[in-house]
Amino acid sequence: MLQGALAGLAAGGLYAVIAVCLTLMARLVRVVNFSQVAIGMFAAYLAVIFAEQHLPQWAATAAGVCVGAVVSGLIGWIIAQWLPEAGIGARSAVSVASLLLLVSLSFILFGSKPKTFKSLLPGPAFSVGNVVVTQVTVVMVALALVVAVGCHVLLTKSKIGTKLRALSERPTTAELLGVPAKGLSIAVWVGTGLISAAAVSIVAPTQTNDPISLSFIIVPASAAALLGGFRRLDLAVVGGLALGMLQGALAQFEQMSVLRYWVPFLIIVVFLLWTQRKEVWDVAR
Amino acid sequence: MLRANSFPARGPMKPLAIAVACVLVGWLLSAVLPSYFVFLGTTAIVAMISLLGLGIVTGSAGMMALCQLSFAAVGAWVVSWLNSVDAPGGLMVWLPLGGLAAAAAGVVVGLPALRLRGVNLAVVTLGFAAAADLTLGKIQFPGTQTGIQVARPDLFPGDRRYFLFAVIVLALCSLLVHFLQASRWGSGWKFVAFSERGTASAGTSVTVTKLTAFGASAFLAGIGGGLLSGQVGLVYPSSFTTIQSLALYVLAIVSGSYLIDMAVLGGILWVLVPELLKRFGISQDWGFVIFGALGIQSLTTGSNLGADLRAMWWRRTQGRRKSMEVTSPTAAVPTAVTKPTAARRPASSASVSGSPVSEAGALLSVRGLSVTFGHVTALSEVDLDLAEGSVTGLMGPNGAGKSTMVDALAGFLPQHQGTIQLAGQSLNGLSPMERARLGIRRTFQQDRVPPTLSVGAYVRFIARGQASDKRVEELLAFFNCPPPSTQLARVDVGTRRLIEVAANMAASPRLLLLDEPAAGLSHEEHVSFAEQLVQLPARFGTTLLLIEHDLDMVRSVCNDLVVLNFGEVIASGQRDDVLANPQVMTAYMGELEVS
Repeated sequence: MLQGALAGLAAGGLYAVIAVCLTLMARLVRVVNFSQVAIGMFAAYLAVIFAEQHLPQWAATAAGVCVGAVVSGLIGWIIAQWLPEAGIGARSAVSVASLLLLVSLSFILFGSKPKTFKSLLPGPAFSVGNVVVTQVTVVMVALALVVAVGCHVLLTKSKIGTKLRALSERPTTAELLGVPAKGLSIAVWVGTGLISAAAVSIVAPTQTNDPISLSFIIVPASAAALLGGFRRLDLAVVGGLALGMLQGALAQFEQMSVLRYWVPFLIIVVFLLWTQRKEVWDVAR
Repeated sequence: MLRANSFPARGPMKPLAIAVACVLVGWLLSAVLPSYFVFLGTTAIVAMISLLGLGIVTGSAGMMALCQLSFAAVGAWVVSWLNSVDAPGGLMVWLPLGGLAAAAAGVVVGLPALRLRGVNLAVVTLGFAAAADLTLGKIQFPGTQTGIQVARPDLFPGDRRYFLFAVIVLALCSLLVHFLQASRWGSGWKFVAFSERGTASAGTSVTVTKLTAFGASAFLAGIGGGLLSGQVGLVYPSSFTTIQSLALYVLAIVSGSYLIDMAVLGGILWVLVPELLKRFGISQDWGFVIFGALGIQSLTTGSNLGADLRAMWWRRTQGRRKSMEVTSPTAAVPTAVTKPTAARRPASSASVSGSPVSEAGALLSVRGLSVTFGHVTALSEVDLDLAEGSVTGLMGPNGAGKSTMVDALAGFLPQHQGTIQLAGQSLNGLSPMERARLGIRRTFQQDRVPPTLSVGAYVRFIARGQASDKRVEELLAFFNCPPPSTQLARVDVGTRRLIEVAANMAASPRLLLLDEPAAGLSHEEHVSFAEQLVQLPARFGTTLLLIEHDLDMVRSVCNDLVVLNFGEVIASGQRDDVLANPQVMTAYMGELEVS
C-alpha cells in the first residue's frame, strides 16, 4: 500500500507540475490548455531523436524542451492573435485541436510505439524502511513545490506579476494602460511550455510512454487543477500529489485496475458537483 | 450565423420527401458503387450519425463534449452483448436499445453539466473518454474473444444491402434530428447556448434542456456504434479511442454539423481524407493533423464549412430574394393593423391605479426586500405593491437597484431577504423557472435573444404553448415586429427588444417586468412603443413593471411610479405626485439645479 503510494508519487509530482501550469494558464491567459502534456510529450520524443543523433543526453533534452517551449508559444501566439477577446471555452477548444494535431504529428515523426527513453535521473534517492524512493520522485515533488511557490511569488511580489494579474482580470483595460498584452500572453505560454516539457522529460522514462498515454496525463492533471478551481496553486499541487499516490496505491491491487482508470473522472465529477452544488448562473446579470 | 436557415419551413412533408429521396440515392449507390466504396460508405454513415449527435450537443447547445465515441462504444457494446446472448429481435431491435443505453450514459455524464458549463464540462467529458477507452481495452467487447460475429438483419445481408440499411438508419436519424431541432427541445438547446438566464426566465428548465441535448447526442452516437458493430461483425476498442473522439469533435466544429447536410459532408471527409492519403502513399496519421489544423483555422476565424457555404449561397440568391420580398405580402414587415391611432392614457380608475394599493387587491406584494452583495447593499427594506392591471414605472439613477429588483422578483437572487407574494402566494424559494411558470415574466436589459433562432421559433419557445400561431402573428404585428419566418440574426438589436416583449406577452403573463425595453429604439419607435404598452393591461390583462429612464415615456405609460435611490424607495405613489417630489428631483437632477 505505502510502497504503491510512494511509487505513485513521481506521477503525482508530474500531475502537480502540470496542474500548476494549467492553473496559471487558466488564470493568466484564460485557456484550459488540453495540449499542455502533449507539448511536453512532443519535447520528450524530440529529445530521444536528438540523442539518437549522438548528442549528449542533457543537450538533447535541453534542445527538446526548447522546441517544446517554442511550440507552446506558437499556439499561444495563434490564440492571442485571433481570439484575444474570446471566452475561455473558445480559446480552450483551440487547444483541443492542437492536442489532436500534436499527437498525430508525433505518430508520423516518431511512430506509435513506446520509445526507449534514457533516464535522466537513474536509481533510488533513499529508502524508508523497505520502501525505495527514486530520484525522479524526489525531483518531481521538489519541482512541483518550487514551481508553485515560484509562480506565487512572481505573481504577488514582482512588477511583471502585477501586469500579468491586470492582464488576466481586465485584458482590455490593461492593454489601454500600456501592458503589452500579446507579448505577455505568449510569454506565459512559453513559460508553461518550458516547465511542462521539462517535467515530462524527467518522468517519461518511468511511465508508459507512447504518445497517447503520455498526452492523456492531461486528464488526472486537469482533475488536480480543478481541485484548486483553476485558481489556487496550492490546492493544485496537493491535488496532483494526492491523485498520484491514490492511483499508485490502487495499482497494487490487480482487480482494482479498472477502478484506477476511473479515479480521475470520479474525482472530477464528485468535486465539481460539491463545489457547485448551489445554483449558479452563467453571467453576472 | 446562418444556421437556422437550414431548417425549412414547418410542415413534415418536405423533410420526409428529402429523406425518401436520399434513401433512393443510397439504394442506387449500393447497386453501382464498387464494393470497397460501399464498405467505406457504411463507415462514413457511422461517422455522420455520430456527427449529427455532436451537432446537437456542441453545435446547438454550445457544450464541449469530447467523448462522443465513448457513447458510440456503449451502443456497440450493448449490440454485441445482445448478439452474444442471442437476444430476440435482431439488429433492428438491438440498434435502438444500444442507442437508449448510450443515451442513459449520456444523461449520467451530462449530470455534472447541470452545474458546469464550458470548459469544466470539457474536462469531465475528456476524463470520461479516457477512462472508457482504458476500460474497453481491458474488458473488450462481448463476443470478440469467442469470435461471435454480430448478425446483420435478414433483410440486409452482404455489404451492399447493409449499406442500404445504414442509409435508411441515417435518414431516420436525420429526420429525428430535424424534428427535434424544430421542436421546443431544439429551441431550448439554442437558447441555453446563448443564455441560461434567458432560458430559465422563459419557464424552461436549464437542467432538462442540457440533459436532453446530452441524451439525444449520445443516443445518436449509440446508434452509430451499433451500426458499426453490424458492419464489422467483431468490434474492437480501437474504433472508439479518445483521440478519435477529439478528431470527431474538431470535425464537428469544422463542418458545422448542427446542419444535417454538413454532418453528412463531415462523415464523407472522415473517410475521404485518410483514403486520399492512402492513395497517395502518405501516412494516414496526416489525416488528424489536417483535421487539427482545420480545427484551429475554423475556431480562430469563428467560421465553419456550413456557415461559409450558406453565406456564399445566400449572397448569390440575395438579389433574387429581394425582388421576391417586394411582391410577397408576407415577407415585408407588416404595418400594425391594430396600431392605436393616439396614445391612450392608462385608465385611472381606483381599482387599477390606486397607490398605495390595499393588500387585498395587490397582484404583487413585496415586503422588506433586501439584497446585499458582500458589503454592498443593493436593495434595503423595499416595500412594493402592484395592483392588478396597473402600469408602474420603476425609476432611479444608475446603480439605484432597479435591475437588482427585477432580478430578485424573477428569482435570480435567492439569497434576498424579505417576502415576495404573487396574488397571495409566496414566491420565496422558487426558482426563476417556477416563477416564470406562475406568470412572472421578464425581459432583459442585455440582449438575451438568441440570434440562431427564427422570430417565430423564439416567440413559440418563450410562449410555452400559450399562444396559437395566429396569436403570435397578431402580437408581432401589434409591436411592429418582423414576421415569424425572419431570422433573428438579421434583426437589429432595438427590434429584438420589441420581439422580446411581444414574445413574453404571448406567454400571457400575469406580471411582466420590463428592464429598459426601449433602449436602442429611435424616437419615433419610442413613441409608438409607449402607445402599445399602454394598451397591454386592458387588452391582455397583464400587469406591468417598467424600468425606464425616458421621462416622456414614463409620463405617457405609467400610472404609478416607484423611485429608488441607493437601494431605498425614496418615493412611490401616483405618477404626478412622485414626479413633483423634491427628493426625486434631487436624485435625478442633482442638488444644484434644485436648490
